[in-house]
Amino acid sequence: MSITLDQVTKRYQGAPVVNDVSLEIGDGEFFVLLGPSGSGKSTLLRAIAGLTGVDHGRIALHGRDVTHTAARERGVGLVFQNYALFRHMTVADNIEFALRVRRVKRAERVQRRKELLRLVALEGMDERLPAQLSGGQQQRVAVARALAHKPEVLLLDEPFGALDAKIREELRRTIRQVQRELGITTVLVTHDQEEAFAMADRIGVMNLGRLLEVGRPDELYKRPATRFVATFLGAANLLLARQSKDGIHFGNHAVNARAVDGSVSGREHEVVAVLRPEEVELAPTREALTGSYLAAGTVEELVFTGALERLRVRLTNGSAEVQLAKTNGDGEYLEVTRTQHEQRAFQVQRGQDVAIGVRRIHVLPTPLSSFTACAASDVEVEHLSRQPLLVELATRMKTRVATRVEPALANGSRDCASRSGKFVGAAVVAAQPDTLKDIECLLARGAEEVFVLPPNAPSPQRVLIHWADEAAKTATLAVSASLLRHLSAEAIYVDVIPDGGSDSQRPHGMRALLDARSEAQAVHGLEMRTELRVGNVSTELVRQLGESADPLLILGISQINNLAHRFADLLASTPRWPMLIVYREPEVSA
Amino acid sequence: MNVAVETRSAPRALRQPSVLPGFGLTFGFTTFFLSAVVLVPLAALVLMSLRLSWSEFWEVILDPRAIGSYRLSFGASLLAASINLVFGFIIAWTLVRYEFPGKRIIDALIDMPFALPTAVSGIALTTVFAQNGWIGQYLEPFGIKVAYTWIGVTVALTLIGMPFMVRTVQPALAEVQKDLEDAAETLGAGRFHIFRRIILPTVLPAMLTGFALAFARAVGEYGSVIFISGNLPMKTEITPLLIVIKLEEFDYRGAAALGTVMLFISFIMLLAINLLQAWGRRRHTRTGR
Repeated sequence: MSITLDQVTKRYQGAPVVNDVSLEIGDGEFFVLLGPSGSGKSTLLRAIAGLTGVDHGRIALHGRDVTHTAARERGVGLVFQNYALFRHMTVADNIEFALRVRRVKRAERVQRRKELLRLVALEGMDERLPAQLSGGQQQRVAVARALAHKPEVLLLDEPFGALDAKIREELRRTIRQVQRELGITTVLVTHDQEEAFAMADRIGVMNLGRLLEVGRPDELYKRPATRFVATFLGAANLLLARQSKDGIHFGNHAVNARAVDGSVSGREHEVVAVLRPEEVELAPTREALTGSYLAAGTVEELVFTGALERLRVRLTNGSAEVQLAKTNGDGEYLEVTRTQHEQRAFQVQRGQDVAIGVRRIHVLPTPLSSFTACAASDVEVEHLSRQPLLVELATRMKTRVATRVEPALANGSRDCASRSGKFVGAAVVAAQPDTLKDIECLLARGAEEVFVLPPNAPSPQRVLIHWADEAAKTATLAVSASLLRHLSAEAIYVDVIPDGGSDSQRPHGMRALLDARSEAQAVHGLEMRTELRVGNVSTELVRQLGESADPLLILGISQINNLAHRFADLLASTPRWPMLIVYREPEVSA
Repeated sequence: MNVAVETRSAPRALRQPSVLPGFGLTFGFTTFFLSAVVLVPLAALVLMSLRLSWSEFWEVILDPRAIGSYRLSFGASLLAASINLVFGFIIAWTLVRYEFPGKRIIDALIDMPFALPTAVSGIALTTVFAQNGWIGQYLEPFGIKVAYTWIGVTVALTLIGMPFMVRTVQPALAEVQKDLEDAAETLGAGRFHIFRRIILPTVLPAMLTGFALAFARAVGEYGSVIFISGNLPMKTEITPLLIVIKLEEFDYRGAAALGTVMLFISFIMLLAINLLQAWGRRRHTRTGR
C-alpha cells in the first residue's frame, strides 16, 4: 500500500475536523477525496503531506510510519490551489528548487528540469517568471516543481479551482497523463463531483470530517450507501418506501423495479429509495410505460440543456402514497432528465399530465429514514418538530420531520394498547416525567426507533453507544453509523460489566469490546472508541452522560420490558440528555 | 525598462480624464508645497553657508570637534538602523504570524515613539540607563556604561527608529503566504533555507525602505539624544547639538555649514539605499509585472 491511514483524527479547538479516518490507497492509484468545503478533505491531505500534525492515529507511506516525520522528509509532492510558485524565481529556479536543496549537480538539475518541462508541455519556458505565465501554465509549473525530487506520492489540493473551464479540462488531461506515465500514487482533493468522476480510480467521499464511503466512481454512483453520497454524487430523488420480503412498496402498490439489496429483515420497515433523474420514465398513460408505474404527475418546468432535457414533474395530489424523503420547499416534485432519444419518442410540454415510471431504483441500506414528531396535542407536536436538534438532524440527513398527534401520549393516559394506528420509522417524543411509558407504547406499536428529546438540546459532541444484548447489536450499530455520518461528534461504545462479577469476566468484556469495534468498522464504516465500565448498567450510563459535554445516548434493546427494569435510572425521571432508543425484535430462526 | 514605458505613456495619461478631477491643480500644489516647505529652505541653508569663504568653510566643517560629531551622528544612526533591521523584523514577524493575548496592545505600543515628545523619551532612557537607574545599576558591575556614552546615543536612536522599521516590514510580511513556506517545506527545504530563499527575498525591499527611514530619522534626531549623551565634546556630541551650540553663539554661518554637510551625507546615503533597492527589484523581478 502506498498510503495507509489508520484512525486519523485532527481537532481544532476540541472539535474534530478529521474524524477517525482509515483508508488504504494502492500503488499507482489515482484517488480522489471528494467533499463539500469544510468537510476536512484538505486538512486530511495536509496531514498526509506532514504540514498538519494529527491528534490521533497513524499515517504510513509505502509501509514507513511517517506520523511523526517532518514534511520535508516524507517524500511527497504537493500542488496548491493558488499555485504557490516562488514569484521572485524563474520557472527554472522554481522547478530546480527541490534539487538545489538536495545539492544535486548542475548538469543533472538541468536535465531533470528539461524532462519535467517536456512532461507538462512547457518546453522553452525556463527563463520566464511566474507573473509572465497564464494561470494554467503556472499550475503546470507547480506540478513540475512538485515532481522534481521524484516523490513517492503526489498530492493535489483543488488544483483546478482558480482556472476556467477549458483550461481546466486541458490540465486535467495533462495531469492524468503525467500520473499514468510516472505511475505515481496520487491523491486529489476536490469538491467537484464531475472532476472526481473524470479523474479517479477510486473516490472517497467526506463530510463533516468523516470518510463516508470509498469506491469506484460507477459503484458509488449506482449503489451509494448513504443519503449524503446519493445526493452529493449527481442528482437524486429520495423517496420514502417500505421494504418487506415481497419487495419495495410505495403506499399500496409494489414497485417492480430492479432493486439491489439483499438483506431484508422479517418485519416490514421504512427505507429511503434513490431514484436518479435519468431512471425516471415519462409516458402519456400508465399502460404506455415500459417500467414500473410510480405515480401520476404534471410537468412543471422544462429546460433544454443540449444533450439532455431537464424536467421537474410535480406529483399529482392523488398519488399521495409516494412520499419524498425530502421536500424541495414548494411541494413534491421529481427531478427528471431525458435524452434526445426519449424526447423524440414522447414530446412533453409544460403543464402536461404524464404517467411516471421507474426503471431502476436503489434502496439505501441505512436505517433512520424519517422522523415523526409525536405528542398529545397540536401545539406540543408543533413545538417538538421545531426543536433545533431535530431540525438540524433532519436537514443534515436530508430527511423530513412528519408530525403526528397521539392522544395516547397525554399525561396519565392509559389507552396505549387499545389504539391501533401503526408506526413506521423513527418516532420523536419530548422528554417528560413518564417518557418511559411513551417509549414503550410507541415501540409496541411498531416504531423501530424512539428519539427522546429534552427541550433545546444542543448538537451532540459525543455519542455514547450501548446495547442491552447481542440481538440488538447489529441494528444499534447501523443506526449509530447512520446518525454519526451526519454529526461531527465522536462515537464511544460503552460496555458495562455487572458489579461483583469476578475478574474472570474482564477478558470476556474486553473481547466483546474489540469485537464490537471491528464489526462497527468493517460492516458499517463506523470508527468508534470503546470504554469498559464496571457496575450497574443504568448508573454507569448516567454517570458517563453526566461527565460528557453535550452527549447523546444510543441505546439498543431487543425486549421492550427491558427498558423498565434495566434502564430505570436513565428513564424513570425526565431524561436530561437526548436519547435514541433502537428496538429490534430478535430474529426468529427457522 | 519599466520607467521608460511609464514616461512614454505619461503625456497620454495627462490628457485622459481621470477619476480624481483637477490633476493640474493638485500637481501645481504639490510642486509649490514641496518648494516652499522643502526645497527653498534647503537652498537657503546652502546659500547661507556659502557666505563663508572656502577656507572658513573648510575650517568649520573639518574642525576635529565637528568630525567627531559626524562620526557619532552617522555611526550611531547606522548602528541603530542596523539593530532595527534585525529586531524590527523580529517584532513585525511576531505581530504578523502569531496570535497571543495582548497582541493589540503591543501593536499599539509600537507607535508610541512616534507620538512621544522626543525629550520625554530621552529623559526616560536616561533615568533607566543611568548608573543608578533600573537597568544601569545592573550593567555597572560589568563595566558597561550606557548613559553618557555612545552606547546611550545608539539606544536612543534605536528607540526612535524602531516604529519605522516595524511598520514598513509588517505589511510586506503579511503578503508572504503560508502556502509558499508549505510548498518549500514539502520540497525538502529546512527552516533556514525557507527563510533565506523564500521569505527574505520577498520582504527585502520593505526592509531596505524601513532601514532608510529609520536611518534618516536617527540622523535628524536631537531631543532624546542630548539628555542621554552627556554632550562631551569629541566623544558624545552629535552634529545637531553642535549646530545648536553654534546658533547659541550667533555663528549662523558655521551652523549652516555644518547643516550643509549633514544634508550632503544624508542625501548620499539615502540615494545609495534607494539605488540598492532598485537594483534588488530589478534582480528579483527582472522585467517587472
